[in-house]
Amino acid sequence: MLFNSLQYLVFLPVVFVLFWLMPHKWRVPLLLVASYVFYMSWRPIYGLLIFGLTVGNFLLVRQIDKATEQKHKKNWVAVVVVANLITLGIFKYAYFSMDCVKAGFDLFGKSFIPPHLHIILPLGISFFVFEFIHYAVEVYRGKPLVAKFMDFALFASFFPTQIAGPIKRYLDFIPQLSVPVMFKWQYIDEGMNLILMGLCKKVLIADNLALVVQAGFSHPANFSSLDLWLITYAFAFQIFFDFSGYTDIARGSALLFGYKVPINFNLPYLAANVADFWHRWHISLSTWLRDYLYIPLGGSRGSTWFNYRNLFLTMALGGLWHGADVHYLVWGVYQGVLLILHKEYVHGLERIGIAKTLMQSKVYHVVSIVLTFHIVCIGWVIFRADTMKTGWEIIGKLAQAPMEIMHFSTSQLAILQIRDPIMFPALLLIVPLLMISHVVVNWLNDKQIYKSPPWAFQVSMMVVMMCLLTIFSPDTSPRFIYFQF
Amino acid sequence: MRQLLTSKFFIAVLAFGVASALAAAAHLWQGKPTDYPYHSWTSWAIDDFLAAKKTPQMVFLGSSLMLVPLSGVDADHLNTRLDGAKHHQSAYFEQEFGQKTGFNVKTFNFALPGEMPSDAYLITDFLLKGEKRPQVIVYGVGPRDFMDNLLPSPAATDPFRFLARFGNIAPIASLTMPETFERINFELGQAIYFYGQRIDICRKWSDLAMQLTNDVFPAGKLLSRDVVHQMVPEYKPFQLEQNEAFFRPVTAADLANFVDNLAEYKKRYKTLKSQTFLTQMHFFGDILKTAQQRGTHVVVVAMPITDINRELIPDAAWELYRNKLKDTATTGGASFVDFSESACFNRKDFSDTVHLHSHGGRKFLDLLIEQLADDQTLKAALRQKPDGNVQMAEKSSGGQL
Repeated sequence: MLFNSLQYLVFLPVVFVLFWLMPHKWRVPLLLVASYVFYMSWRPIYGLLIFGLTVGNFLLVRQIDKATEQKHKKNWVAVVVVANLITLGIFKYAYFSMDCVKAGFDLFGKSFIPPHLHIILPLGISFFVFEFIHYAVEVYRGKPLVAKFMDFALFASFFPTQIAGPIKRYLDFIPQLSVPVMFKWQYIDEGMNLILMGLCKKVLIADNLALVVQAGFSHPANFSSLDLWLITYAFAFQIFFDFSGYTDIARGSALLFGYKVPINFNLPYLAANVADFWHRWHISLSTWLRDYLYIPLGGSRGSTWFNYRNLFLTMALGGLWHGADVHYLVWGVYQGVLLILHKEYVHGLERIGIAKTLMQSKVYHVVSIVLTFHIVCIGWVIFRADTMKTGWEIIGKLAQAPMEIMHFSTSQLAILQIRDPIMFPALLLIVPLLMISHVVVNWLNDKQIYKSPPWAFQVSMMVVMMCLLTIFSPDTSPRFIYFQF
Repeated sequence: MRQLLTSKFFIAVLAFGVASALAAAAHLWQGKPTDYPYHSWTSWAIDDFLAAKKTPQMVFLGSSLMLVPLSGVDADHLNTRLDGAKHHQSAYFEQEFGQKTGFNVKTFNFALPGEMPSDAYLITDFLLKGEKRPQVIVYGVGPRDFMDNLLPSPAATDPFRFLARFGNIAPIASLTMPETFERINFELGQAIYFYGQRIDICRKWSDLAMQLTNDVFPAGKLLSRDVVHQMVPEYKPFQLEQNEAFFRPVTAADLANFVDNLAEYKKRYKTLKSQTFLTQMHFFGDILKTAQQRGTHVVVVAMPITDINRELIPDAAWELYRNKLKDTATTGGASFVDFSESACFNRKDFSDTVHLHSHGGRKFLDLLIEQLADDQTLKAALRQKPDGNVQMAEKSSGGQL
C-alpha cells in the first residue's frame, strides 16, 4: 500500500477512527493488526518474514540481557546481528553476490552459471532490519529490554515508518506506547498538515520532476551539458521532495495516533560541506550508520588513517545499503572519499591557521554551500544512473559545461526544444525557484511567524493544498524512490 | 463540538467543500467534451464523426480487428497512404456495396484500437443518436473483446476515457468499475468538483503555462514527438497526432512478414475471467437493445482469427463465446455473420494471429458485402430515413432488392 494511493486514503481514516474509539489497552494490538494488513496488502507471504524476524529478535535479544558474562553477551549480540544481516543479504544481495562471483570466474576465464533464484526484495526490509540491529546493540550496551512482545512487534512493523523509515530508536518509540494519550484535535491539525505537505512534495513536485529526470538519465546523448546540469539539479530536488515528502506523510500519519517519529531532513542543500550534508540528509540513517557501524569500527579513535578507513567503510557500506548494485557502492565510496578530503582540507586550513577566519566569512559560507551542492549533485548522478557507464557518460558531459557557457545560446538547450511535457522548458524557472525556496525556508526557520503562523493562514494553506492535490494528482503516481531500498 | 470548530483541519475541509460546491455551481474551468487533454485514435474519430455534415448511414464498430483491414483495404483501393487519424470511412465498402446492391451508402469507421464492447456501447449510446443516428451498425467482434484478461476493467481502456466525456456514466459505474477502489475513485470525482473536473482544469492550466513559457522562451526548433515519446514513454502513452500513423498501399509482394503474437494472446486468454466475459456480453446486449430502440439495425460480424490463435482458447470457452454471441445477436434482432470458423480464411490472409492484412481484408469485405447484399432486414433499414420514414436511397441503376 502506497501513501500516495487511494487505498491509504481509506485505510488511514479507518484505523484512525478505530484507534481513538478503542480503550488504551487495545490500541497497540489494533495498530499491530493494521500494520500487518498494510504490509501484507503488498505480498501476504512476507508478513511471515517480518513476523519471524520480530519473534527471533525478541527472543534472541533476551539472551543478550540474560547473559552474565561480557563474552557471552558479545557472542549473543554477534548472533543477532549476523542473523539479521544474513536475512538482509539473502533477500537483498543474493543476485548481486552471484553476479560478483560470476564476474570473478569470468576474470579467470572460468565459466560459472549462477543458480536461478526467485527472490523478491521484501519492502522495507533494510529499514526494519536496521531497527532490529539497533535494538540488539543497545541492549548489549546495557539499555533495557522491551518487556511486551506486542510493543516490540509494533516497533518493528509500525505502518507509517515500516517501508522507508525514518529509522526509529526503540527508547524514543516504545515509551510512547504505554502513555494513555487522550485525543486532541491538535493531532489531526498537525498530522494532516504534514500529510498534505508530504503529498504535495511527492505528487506535485517530485513526480513532475521525475519526467524530465527519466528522459535525461535514459537518453543523455539527446541533451547538452547545460541541460544535463539542469536535469541533475532536478534529480537532486526530485529525490529530496520524494523522500522528505514520504517522511512528512510518515510523521503526519504517526502524529494522528499521538506518536512522534524522528525527522529525516534539515535543508540538506544548504549544507556548507559534505559532513554537514550528512547531518542534514536522511538523518535517521546517517545517525544509525554512525552509532552502529562507524563507532563499532573504532570511530575517530586511533590514528588519522584508522579514522579515515572507518569513514570510508561506513560510507561505502552505507552506499551498498541503498541497493545491490555497483553504482550504489561507487556512490558510497564517493561520499567516503569526500568526507576524508573534507577532513584533510579542514586540517590543512587549521595548520595554516586560517580555518576560523575563513569559515566565519559570509562569502566563504555561500561559496561553500554552492560548491557542496554541486559536489552532492555529481554524487546523485552516480546514484541515479542505471549503470556506471551511463553515469560516467553524464559526468563526462557535465564536465564540458564551461566550454558550453563560453559559447552559450539558448538554442543549445534541448529542454527548450520540448514543449510537451511543459516540465522540460519550465525547468529553467522551477529549479531556481526550488533553490530559492530552500534559502527562504532557512531564513524563515527561526521566525515566530513561521513557527506558528496565524490560524487563518494555516487553514488557507491547507485548503490550497487540498485544491492542488485534487486537481493535479495524476491517475497513477510512481512509488517513492526509497521504497526500493 | 466547540473543539471541533477550533480544528484548523476541520475548518479547512469545510472551506474546501464550500469552494468545491461554488466551483461546481459556476462550472469553473469546465471544458467541452471535445476539449480532450490530448489526441488519440478515439478523439480523432469522435471529432470527425461530429464534424461530418452528412450523417453516415452505416457505422462500423469494433477493435483493431475491424480497423486494420478496413483502412488497409482503402489504402490499396485508393492507392494512397491514409492518415490513421483522419481516415474514418470504408471507401471500398461504399463502392462495392453500392455496385452490388444499388445503395449509395456513406460509411463511418468507428473501429478503434482496443475497443471493447463497453466502449462500443458508449459510442452507440452517447454518439449514434438523434441527428447522428445511422441506419445500420456493422459490429465486428473477436474473442479478445470478451476475454481480455489483461484489461483491469472496462473503464481502463483509452477509448473509454475519451468517450466517457460525452455522457453520464454513473448508471453503468458498477459494471465499468467493478473494483472497489476504482469505484471509490469515481465517486470521489462525482462528489468533489475539483477532482472530477481535474482533466479539464489541468488542461486549462497547462495551456496557460504553455503560453507563458512560449512568451518567455519562444519556441524555435522543436524535437519531434517521436523522440520525446522515446524519452518519456509513459507520458500520454496513447497520444496520436495527424501524420503519425499511416495505412499504406501494399502489393502482394510487399506484404509484411507474418508476426507471431501468440505470446501476447496467451496472456490475454489466460484463465477466463467470467466477470469480464459477462460484463462485456452485457454491454454487447445493450448495444443491440439501444440500437433497436433507436431504429438502427445491427449486423454482428464474428471476425475471423487464425487457427493457431483459436487453439489458445479452451474449447469450452470458445463454444461459450460463439453460442452466447449468436444467441445475443439473434435475440437482439441483429443480423449475424459468422466468419469465426470460416474456411475462407487461412493464415496467409493475416498479418499476425488475429489481424487480417489488407489483402485478407479485401477478401473479408467481399464476403461481408455478399452476405449483407442478401440481408433483407438490413436493406429495409437502409431504406429508412433517419426519422424512420422510408426513403429511396438506391441508385437508379441498382438491381432488384
